[in-house]
Amino acid sequence: MQHRRGALLVALALALTGVFATTLAAPRPAQALTTEKATARPNEDGGDGVIGGMDTRLTWEGTVEPGEEVTSVTLTLPEGSTFDGSTTRITALEGLKRMDVTGEAVPAGSSITVNFDQAIPEGSLLRLEITNMQFPSEGGECVVSGSYVSAGAEHELADSKPIETIANTPLQSIVNWLDDQPWVEAWNSNQFLGMFLKPQLLVTSFSSLAPGWILCLGIVVAAYPFAIALGLLFAMLKISKWRILRAIAVVYINVLRGTPLFLQIYIMFFGLPMLNINIDNNLLGIIVMAINSSAYLAEIFRAGIQSIPQGQYEAASSLGMNYVQTMFTIILPQTVRRVIPTVTSDFITAFKDTSLLSSVGVMELMMFSKNLTTVTGNITPYVAAGIFYLIVTLPLIKVVGIVEENIARSERGSGPRPKRRADVADSAAAQMKEATDAC
Amino acid sequence: MPAKLRHRAPVIEVPPALPADEAASIAYEADQGLTSHHFTPGEHPIVRIEHLNKSFDDTLVLKDVNLNVWPGEVVVVLGPSGSGKSTMLRCINLLETPSAGHILIEDDEITNKSAAEVNKLRRDVGMVFQQFNLFPHLTAKENVMIGQTKVLKKDKAEAEAEALKQLAAVGLADRADFKPAQLSGGQQQRVAIARAVAMHPNVLLFDEPTSALDPELVRGVLDVMRDLAENSGMTMIVVTHEMGFARDVADRVVFMEDGVVVEQGLPEKVFDHPENPRTAEFLGSIN
Repeated sequence: MQHRRGALLVALALALTGVFATTLAAPRPAQALTTEKATARPNEDGGDGVIGGMDTRLTWEGTVEPGEEVTSVTLTLPEGSTFDGSTTRITALEGLKRMDVTGEAVPAGSSITVNFDQAIPEGSLLRLEITNMQFPSEGGECVVSGSYVSAGAEHELADSKPIETIANTPLQSIVNWLDDQPWVEAWNSNQFLGMFLKPQLLVTSFSSLAPGWILCLGIVVAAYPFAIALGLLFAMLKISKWRILRAIAVVYINVLRGTPLFLQIYIMFFGLPMLNINIDNNLLGIIVMAINSSAYLAEIFRAGIQSIPQGQYEAASSLGMNYVQTMFTIILPQTVRRVIPTVTSDFITAFKDTSLLSSVGVMELMMFSKNLTTVTGNITPYVAAGIFYLIVTLPLIKVVGIVEENIARSERGSGPRPKRRADVADSAAAQMKEATDAC
Repeated sequence: MPAKLRHRAPVIEVPPALPADEAASIAYEADQGLTSHHFTPGEHPIVRIEHLNKSFDDTLVLKDVNLNVWPGEVVVVLGPSGSGKSTMLRCINLLETPSAGHILIEDDEITNKSAAEVNKLRRDVGMVFQQFNLFPHLTAKENVMIGQTKVLKKDKAEAEAEALKQLAAVGLADRADFKPAQLSGGQQQRVAIARAVAMHPNVLLFDEPTSALDPELVRGVLDVMRDLAENSGMTMIVVTHEMGFARDVADRVVFMEDGVVVEQGLPEKVFDHPENPRTAEFLGSIN
């Protein structure tokens, strides 16, 4: 039984191989020159990618089959590649014997034809190294095809394995341009500047860090409405007349304000999974930030509510308003204006504090910078991250300043006046006069 | 010695409130000749204050105050600072809780009421404050509208029409869309009066309405109050230091000192022939 099954399998395998071989080989004539490999030298700064539209070196190797000779090889790359200004080095290896072959390379658009002064003999490994050539700037998988001339007849070359190339973005072209600038070279030769502010890396960092920056903003923007709602709730509890509610609010606020956010993140990210509560990292980040901010906002709102003069409550009461009406139509609308600067400051803090989420693997700005710094061995990505934070925080700091000034001005009583200032003064005076005349 | 000594206000014993009819007839007798306001034998006072006491911690600021105010009467309360006149006023709409005694509005005892009942009471007792207390985030018109829409549940158009009418009555029709910060103190106080009047209260309380104003702005506010007193028929209790206003407008002047009503009567009598030496002294120092 065992034996028969084995024989069957072998037969099956053989049959399959036969089918395979025929389908692959049948349409093709016997090759005189077999493509071995085609590679390109990485030209990415600080990386190992091959970027299109930028000078690189293409290395192509093929074996001349026994009984054949090759006199000319034409290599063809996808449209958009160029061999203008390239130089070609031809090497033939026959066993361990290496011979330099002279020849003439004729570029023609995305093809280059190399005519050898002497035919490459059988059994040789032919290597063509073409420097200063470029792949198409849109990038993609580039297959090297072409043809060769053997015994006066032209034959197709088998396609090489594709070469992965990276698109040459506007950003990349800036980097390329920077690479060529003498001042950049001089700048980078300074150890500090080259380490912290390398222009090329700064440029690439901006594009690489952007997703992290968006996530930071996303987390804090998503968290904040919840933080405000929770903060308001606990502010109301803290000024409640029931002791138990006040106690709950005090514990919540003081524990959250009295422990580091870092600790809260750890407890949530490592503690919850142990309770078999598994929440998506980004969502959990939003939850932690919302809870943490809500404690600070609760104190801000409480202070804001309590800063509204007693007279406002009395005026609302004397109109017959109840507590809820007084709160929502009189007190809170005024509180909102007063707390805008402090709340904005807290927003800035919360935005910066999202950086702590990198410690638990949330792919935010600091995480991206850390990765990029690890790859490049350069501090510049962190500096780029700093710039990203400032893009958000500086305008907000400015907003805080403007709002604070407005509030200060309106509380001095010289708030925004109506436009027709002179008219107002005139008619007020006229009215006074009327009133005086009347009595 | 205990760490914390709680001050306990002394318990003040007062007799229960009189039955309405009995109180009315007593008041009718007692107030004869004290006010120029006309009241009739069967009529009941709109505000009845009986044995009102109020203490802050152990300081007694109102001592057994008794006062009747008749519907449509204008009562001006005078007295030196700290005499308890503002506290008495604030007790009438329960911004202060009386320590003892009775306050009855339309024969309805207002002390010891639930919060909801207190809110209901307050819509019938308007108040104008020394510091205006306009809502700074709302325009003049919205200040006058908000009580109507939120408390009286009037629809917006109706409230707006009423607001514009009341603002016109205080001479501020053209300031309807101004925020309080854009108005002078006098204008703010007139808006505050419009806000109180728009609720059509039974009683309107004024707590030193001109004391926070620059002298040149006082007149406009007093004119509005004078107009209200003479033409609206509204019951007004006014705490003020404006002697001229008291003499011209009041039906009755009440003089308080040290939490006690020292003297009350017709303005000309109290001003020109005060019975009490302290009244005479106070009026002398003011005039």
